[in-house]
Amino acid sequence: MRVLIVEDTADLARQLTQRLEADGYAVDCAGDGEEGQFLGETEPYDAVILDLGLPKIDGLSVLRSWRRGGVTVPVLILTARGSWHEKVQGIDAGADDYLAKPFSMEELLARIRALIRRAKGHAAADIACGPVVLDTRSGRVTVAGEPVELTAFEYRVLSYLMHRKGQVVSRSELIEHVYAQDFDRDSNTVEVFVGRLRRKIGADLIKTVRGLGYRLDEA
Amino acid sequence: MIGRMIGRLRRVRWWPDSLRFRLLAGAAVWITLALTIAGFVLSGLFQDRIHQRFQDEMLNHLEQLAASLELNDQGQPALRQPLSDPRFRRPLSGLYWQIGGPGETILSSRSLWDSVLALPADAVEPSALHRHIVSGPAGQTLSVMERSVALPERPDAPFRIAIAADRAEMGRVMDSFNRTLTLSLGVLALALIAAAVIQVQIGLRPLSRLRSGLNAVRAGRQKRFTEAMPSEIMPLVDDLNALLAHAEDSVGRGRLQAGNLAHALKTNLAMLANEARLLDSQNGQDGPGRIGAAMVERVEVMRRHIDHHMARARAAASRGIPGLSAPVADRVAALARVMRKLHADRALDIVADSAADHSFAGEREDLDEMLGNLVDNACAWARRRVAIASRLDDAPGWLILTVDDDGPGLPADRREAVLMPGVRLDESVPGTGLGLTVVHDLARLYGGDLTLEDSPLGGLRARLRLPMARDGE
Repeated sequence: MRVLIVEDTADLARQLTQRLEADGYAVDCAGDGEEGQFLGETEPYDAVILDLGLPKIDGLSVLRSWRRGGVTVPVLILTARGSWHEKVQGIDAGADDYLAKPFSMEELLARIRALIRRAKGHAAADIACGPVVLDTRSGRVTVAGEPVELTAFEYRVLSYLMHRKGQVVSRSELIEHVYAQDFDRDSNTVEVFVGRLRRKIGADLIKTVRGLGYRLDEA
Repeated sequence: MIGRMIGRLRRVRWWPDSLRFRLLAGAAVWITLALTIAGFVLSGLFQDRIHQRFQDEMLNHLEQLAASLELNDQGQPALRQPLSDPRFRRPLSGLYWQIGGPGETILSSRSLWDSVLALPADAVEPSALHRHIVSGPAGQTLSVMERSVALPERPDAPFRIAIAADRAEMGRVMDSFNRTLTLSLGVLALALIAAAVIQVQIGLRPLSRLRSGLNAVRAGRQKRFTEAMPSEIMPLVDDLNALLAHAEDSVGRGRLQAGNLAHALKTNLAMLANEARLLDSQNGQDGPGRIGAAMVERVEVMRRHIDHHMARARAAASRGIPGLSAPVADRVAALARVMRKLHADRALDIVADSAADHSFAGEREDLDEMLGNLVDNACAWARRRVAIASRLDDAPGWLILTVDDDGPGLPADRREAVLMPGVRLDESVPGTGLGLTVVHDLARLYGGDLTLEDSPLGGLRARLRLPMARDGE
């Protein structure tokens, strides 16, 4: 899963990035509204964490511009402006959730997971595919009840496929959602990760659809 | 200050402390005085004129009498022809003539019947005119004009000829004239006062418009006076607008500064809290870990205080600014929309019921803050249903807003305690812990209150009493 952080306080952006990456997200950062707006319009993110008090273009304007332009990515507003009036403005501008600073990192992560899950059409917190279960609250993966250790990239690939289970995900789409923007992308590594995942969760769950991509199917 | 100004302008009424009263009373006094003086002058002039005519007429008759006087064949005085005025022939008509010799009455008009004019026995010089006032027949008061006429046949024994006329005749004419004059001047006075009333009404109309403009500003229907006013009032309107702008501006600047301060503090608190949590998670129960946990706790307390004082500062600054109005139905609908999104996982049934004309007399931000906290609290506790409603209070000018949930409710003996700062309903349910206190404080700043009751839905009802924005008279 790929997340965009639009936050002008560099230290806070760094804290957020570290924590999100540790939880298996590919993270891009924008330090001002203009860059944030551009990235949101051009890159396929799975969620956005948006500050409101931003240089160049303020957060609400960025959000409105995305929504006008048909960008439907779930957006969580993370701001010091914590009054209900500002929350109403934020939600009415198209935000999906609102968290006031200072915040608990755990709560932020839980909300991001819930946002992504709901956006992909999953009502329950656990996404199951055959024996494989992804607990979106904790980010843990189990196969037939047994926890499975995954690397960050393996987790990203599996998590994205699980969220899109039953649908064909092209290789390029997978790359877009597991790598951050400035990462040196190599489609062959995706194949390597898929291979490793097949060994860890079962060979027949991730199917290769020739010429199109991958599909996660229940048996 | 603005309130007092409005209050003063509102007192444009009929009692002495009003411009209308002053202008009308002044006009009425001057009109009455001027017309009374005019009446006296006109009456006096007319009386002079009538008197003059009376005298002229008598003189005329006297000259006619003198001209008609002759001696007949017996050497007795006689009239060559009767005097033309028929009143001389009608008995006691009020117009008489009399001709007398030295010490005797020789001839008199038929109208005098058998009476004799009791003329004073003074010496009348030839051609000299004498005037007397004597009592006449039938109690009349007569003006008499008398002269002596010497006929050529009797040059040394002149006759005294006299014309007498009833003075009451002159009085009757004067009375009639005075009645007509008084009536006319009275009607004129009323017409002038009516004209003054119309003039004052038209003249003061801009003040009435200013008053309704002020009411509109007070009721929040408009932010400024937009109407053009006469040049005498326009400076006042400009000053009022400037004052309103200044008040709004000061509040806005203060809020921005406070907001910036809060923003700076909270962003750094967020980082501090994250570092502290990291410390907490890395170092077990002793040493640095405990410090981390304590820091997290203090950061949370600091955040609550910032929120609390920000809300209070905002509400305190808005108090007393006229023209504030927030439509309740609109804000309730907005908050219901937000809560459905923020509590999307719970699929709560959030029902809003508020009449379109219910408006809170205060800042929209404060209404959002109060309702937001209450509804968020209700959503956190509700099993399935949350109901938001507004209605008019029994006391006029007040609104009752209720937020109900079907959650577990709160025992009556704990309800007062949760309105105290720093008390949280339950530490396990996320919340700031200061939410209800903020609502309570804000409501009280507006003169209202917050009470907690049993809800018909089974859970807790928060009942908020707030001032209602009025349209003014």
